[in-house]
This record gives sequence, structure tokens and C-alpha cells, in this order.
Amino acid sequence: MPASINPAHQGGRLAAPSLPASRLLLARMLRDDGTGLKKAHYTQTWLAGLLLSPQLLILLFFFFIPSFKALSLAFVQVDPFGGREIFVGLQNFVDLFSDPSYRKSAWLTLWFTIVQNIATLGIAGVLAFATDQIIRGQVGYRSVLLLPYAIAPVISGGIWAYLFNPAIGPAASALHAMGVPWDPNLRPSDALILITISAVWKHICYDYIFLAAAMLAVPQSLREAAAIDGAGPLERFRTISLPLIAPVVMYLFIINMVYGLFDTFSIIDAVTAGGPAGSTSTLVYKVYQDGFIMMNLGSSAAQSIVLMVLAVLFTVLQFRAMDRKVNYQV
Amino acid sequence: MPTFFRTAAALGLAGLLTTVAQGALAQDKTSIEWWYANGGRIEEAIQTMISDFNESQDKYEVVGVRKGNYEETFAAMIAAYRAGKHPAIIQATERSVLTMLHSNAIVPVNTLMEDNGIDMKKDDFLPSVAAYYVVDDKVNALPFNSSTGIMWYNADHFKAAGYDAPAETWDAFEEQLYALKDKGVTECAMVLNSDYVWSLIEAYSTINDQPFGTQANGRDGLDTEYVYNTTMVTKQAERLKKWVDDGIVQLSGQGASPSQLFNSGTCSTWSASTASHAGVEAEAQFDWSATMQPYEAGVEPKNSNLGGAALWVLKGKEDAEYEAAAAFLEYVAQPDTQAWWSATTGYIPVTHAAYDKLKTDGFFKEHPTREIALLQLTRGGEPSDNSWGMRFGNSNQWWAVIQEELQAAFTGQKTVQEALDSSVERGNKILRQYEQLNAGVN
Repeated sequence: MPASINPAHQGGRLAAPSLPASRLLLARMLRDDGTGLKKAHYTQTWLAGLLLSPQLLILLFFFFIPSFKALSLAFVQVDPFGGREIFVGLQNFVDLFSDPSYRKSAWLTLWFTIVQNIATLGIAGVLAFATDQIIRGQVGYRSVLLLPYAIAPVISGGIWAYLFNPAIGPAASALHAMGVPWDPNLRPSDALILITISAVWKHICYDYIFLAAAMLAVPQSLREAAAIDGAGPLERFRTISLPLIAPVVMYLFIINMVYGLFDTFSIIDAVTAGGPAGSTSTLVYKVYQDGFIMMNLGSSAAQSIVLMVLAVLFTVLQFRAMDRKVNYQV
Repeated sequence: MPTFFRTAAALGLAGLLTTVAQGALAQDKTSIEWWYANGGRIEEAIQTMISDFNESQDKYEVVGVRKGNYEETFAAMIAAYRAGKHPAIIQATERSVLTMLHSNAIVPVNTLMEDNGIDMKKDDFLPSVAAYYVVDDKVNALPFNSSTGIMWYNADHFKAAGYDAPAETWDAFEEQLYALKDKGVTECAMVLNSDYVWSLIEAYSTINDQPFGTQANGRDGLDTEYVYNTTMVTKQAERLKKWVDDGIVQLSGQGASPSQLFNSGTCSTWSASTASHAGVEAEAQFDWSATMQPYEAGVEPKNSNLGGAALWVLKGKEDAEYEAAAAFLEYVAQPDTQAWWSATTGYIPVTHAAYDKLKTDGFFKEHPTREIALLQLTRGGEPSDNSWGMRFGNSNQWWAVIQEELQAAFTGQKTVQEALDSSVERGNKILRQYEQLNAGVN
């Protein structure tokens, strides 16, 4: 069927005004935008729909329905058992945004996410760069670096909390011996440093894998050419490797943002439990605390919606970035 | 060889038959679930209690499942209840009494027992325990692991500093704590327990007969308001702040547990639940003891506040399951079970009968620290409107607020008074929300 793989023909047929609206919509969704599978792979839209349905069903049950439930909870005050509900309009949101501790938490989250992001990228970048320079024990080097990823966040959080516990932690007593008045229970800045370190430590390996792979993919010939021209390792990295791995860095930057915003909750729970005085209670940790510990479902739902909007924003950003810059056929 | 195979086959068949028979037997039993929240040694005792019950009869089977700590268990129960997959029995803390009462999701234990022809009266229970769970003469939940905070101390440390025991009043006690540190006996005169708001703030208010909120601490109406920022509690909070600043009191924080710091002999005193007996007795390798919580000089001390949790029965189960639940709760409330439970864990016996049994058995003569909680819960005669207990809506939300605010005072971000004022303001907002949602509900 040569006609069916002719994009021009396909496009003309799909654009026919006689088609039902729903089919038109699907057709539009399947329109070739230069990425992914070509629409020409499917002569019939129902087949595409069928193939998409498992994914769509998963999204329906694990995203759209829960999101809708959250959305509806955000506008009510509800008793935990769900027996009584009072519609309160936007009151939950008004309360939220007028709450100084929520604003504090938002700033904290911004700080934490960005510092964590840059630190993770920086350290992972140096380690990935070093991979190439190491000739012996590369396997061992990589395995050690990847280990933290295999440790459950709660466990790694527990380890950090213990190491830096001012009463019994070996790392804390080393700091005390050096004259640092380390105490994450009473000094908010110490607590913030501690959760940042634990979050970064846990996530370096993820960035490392991507960066190491991206650096390996930089054509050897280019680097050799630069070397012949007299560029040292750092110079080669700056002028050859870095521009070529930039799309991956961009991708990791967004993934790190999402990680800092959403996935660090169990680490925070284990390391500081949001304290002292809420100084390490990030937005996502507040959702957990208000919803599951305090049973304030209305406020927790409103907070989830704020976070959802943020997540959607980042996703859009990520796709934009990938569309423009990432070329998977490096 | 053939004999061996034949024997093996026969054994296998026998094993199979036994399994089938047991399966059939289990089918006949009514099985119910009980979700609880205690870990460690307490959990071992709970599992022993359950298997003892299961072996004591062949009609019912109770399956105990630990769902995490109290908050996690409560959250799991809520989710399960909304999905209709909840257990028959749930263990919930004294802090959630009002939420449970208003939930419309419970079968009052009183009703359950009546329906199943079991005799259980409110007067069976110690008054200080019943105060929390008896409303309108009805026992709503079976008090299970009840406790109160007592003052644990390292007798070796006190001897080294030249004292016999902790002093009775806070001022004299404070002098001792400073002496313990100044004389170099210890670096940590006191470790702050994670639930110090309960054992050092709420208990302080109760023992010193201060109102914590209006309407008899919430008992007489949902329009109650917190007032502890205007009472002697401010003095106690100032004192704790001073101790934190002077390094008298140590916050354990994440990564270490307060019990560990006391049991290892690091810290000299520890205000914590009487239920810590199980852990202290097993772990502390020094001359430990305990005494009643101090009070302010010039005050006639009243009883302390209750802690721990009770067993609630949830709606939506079959009659047979309720029969099983009733039988189990009856078993739990028996003097023998209660006495065993109390002796094993350190929680108090909740009924008069069990208390009397332990007394006549001479248990308290051998273990004098086991009676401190009971004596403290009954100190000062008839409980007053201030000391009977507390019943505030969404108390767990306020719990998070007060901890956050006190931490802000400890870290120096706020003065103690500012922190207390702010916690009262936020707490009252929580109370109004609760009132708005639950006004007019029984």
C-alpha cells in the first residue's frame, strides 16, 4: 500500500471536513510534528487509539481521577472519614497564601531546589569528567558512584541523620572537635545544609549516569583534533564536550528541579522531619504533613494543586527544551 | 530406598492433609483484623496477647497488623474506611478521641458489649482513664494502652551529685539539674522526649491545675479556645527555653532516640511515659528509677494527664465479626490479661479489678516504679475541670503547630511568649474549623 505511507496523501485525507469531530481531534493529535513515530505508520486512527489506550487508561486511573478528587477536595472542609463536607469556595487557597509559614516554605523550596540542583550537576559533572581520565578501576569507580541510587531514601536519610546527630553522630562530634557548633535541632541553617547534602548525595548518581554517557558520546575524533591543536583536557572539555552535552545538562536541570520539588520528601522526613520550626519543611513535605499527619485534607488538597500546576509547568518546559535541543541520535 | 520414598510420600500426604484440615478449621473461625501502632517490645506483647486469645478459644481469630506509628495507622484506617476495607478494631490515641466520637464511623464499645450480652460498666475503669473515653455514661472505646508521663532518673548520677532523688518542685529540680552539669556528673542533665508537649507542657498544666482551654478544656463545648498562653504554662515554656540555651536539656532530634540517650546512661533525667518501663528494664545498665513529675512550689498538685491509646470498633462489619470483636475486647479487659499486659509493658492497668489484682499479688512491692503512674493519675483527689483531661478538636493539627512554635522559641526565632501566642492563635483557628464542620453532630 504505497499510498498509505505517503504523508501528503494521508494529511489530505485526514483534513477532510466530513470526518466526525472526535476523529478530527485524534487526527490532529497524531499529526506529524517531526518527533516520535510518523503518523504515516497508522492508516487507521482506531488502531493508534487502541495502541495508546493502555497508556491512556493508566493515566486515567493514576493521574486524572486522583487529580480530579484532589481538585474537588481543595474547595471543601471535610471530616477525615468523608462523612461531612462543607463547601468553602476558595477559602483553602486564601488561607494558604495568607499563611506566612506557607510563603516561608515556598522560598525555602526555591532555595533548596536550586542549590541542590546546581550542586548535584556540578559534582556529577566533575565525577563524569573524571571517569574518562581514570584508566584503572573504572568499573569499581562507577559502581561506587552508583551505589547510593540503590539505597532507599528513608535509609539514606536515617544514615545522614545519625551521622550528623549532635548527641551521638560521629560526623557531628568531629565538627564539634573542630569548633563548629553544629546542631541541626536548634540551628535552622545546619538543618538546611544537612537535607541539601543528603538530597544531593542521593541524586548525584542519576546525573552521573547521564553525564558520563553523554561525555562518552562526544566523538573521539573531535577531541583528538583539539588535542592535536594543543588543547589540554580542561580546554577540550570546555570547548568541545560541554557544548555537545548541553542538551543533556538542560534535561538534567529540569529533572533535578522536579526531584528537589517532589521526590525529596522521604529524605526530609528521615533527616529533619521538617524542623526545626518548619525550617526544612518544603512544599511537598507540607502536603504530606498537613494531609496525612494532621488530617487537614482540604488544605492539603489545595497545596497539591499548587504543586500540580508547578509540575505541569516544568513538564511543558522540559518538552520544550527537549524539542529544541535534544537530539537522541547523538 | 523404596521404604524411604514410601515414608516420605506418606509424610508428605499427612502434611498435606493436616494443612487442608487446618485450612478448613480456619474457615470455620470468624477472623477479624486489629490495626495497632506500637513497635518494639510493646508490639511483641501485643502479638503474644493476640495469640493467647486465639488459642484460648476456637471460634474467633484476631489478626494483628501494625500499620506504622499512630499517625500512619490512623491515616491508613481513614483510607481503608473510605474504601470499605477497614479493620474491625483500630487503636487510636487519646488525641483523636473527638475525631472518633464525631466520625459516625464507630460502634461504641458499650453498645457492642450490650448487643453481645457482655457486661461492661464505666465504673469498671479507673476514673482518670474513663474520663477520656466515657461520654454521657457510655464507654465509647476500650482503654487499652494507657499511660502518663513520669520522671525517669539515673540514680547513679544523682548520688554522684549528692542527691537521693529528683526534688518535688520545679525550682528545686532545676537546681539539681544545673548541679548535675556543673559538678561534671553529666553533659546531659535531661533529654527532651519527642512527645514533651504531652509530658512537660500539657501534664504541667494539668498537675498545676491550670486551664489549658476554656469550656473545661473542651469537654463542655466545641466553642472552646486555648488559653495556655496566659497561664503558668508560659513559665514552664520559659524554663525549657532557658534549659535549652544553657545546655541543660538535650534535644535528641532525628537519628537518635531520647530513650537511647537515657538508657545508655548519657542523660540523667527523662520525662516520658510509664510505658518506657519495657525498654528501660531491658536496656538500662545502671541504677535507674523514676518518680512523679515535679510541680510548682505553693501549688497543691493535681492528677496528671492520660496518654496512650484505646481500641475503637468500626462500623460496617458483619454480626459475626462484631461477636468476635466483643469476645476479644472482653478478653483484653479481663483482670488477668490487664495485669499481665501492665506487668509486661509498663502501661497502667485500666480497670479497678486489674489494679487490685496487681496490688494483692505484691507486684508493686517488687516494682515500686510501676505504681508511680497510677499514684500520679490519682494525686490530689477528685480531678478538677482543669485536670480531668483535654478534649480539643483536630488536636493532632494543634500538636504540630505547638511543636513548630516552641522550636521557633528554642532556636531563637521568636520569644517564648510570641511563640505561645502564635500557637494559640493558630490553634484557635483549628478549633473554629473543627467547630464549623462538627457543630450539631453527636
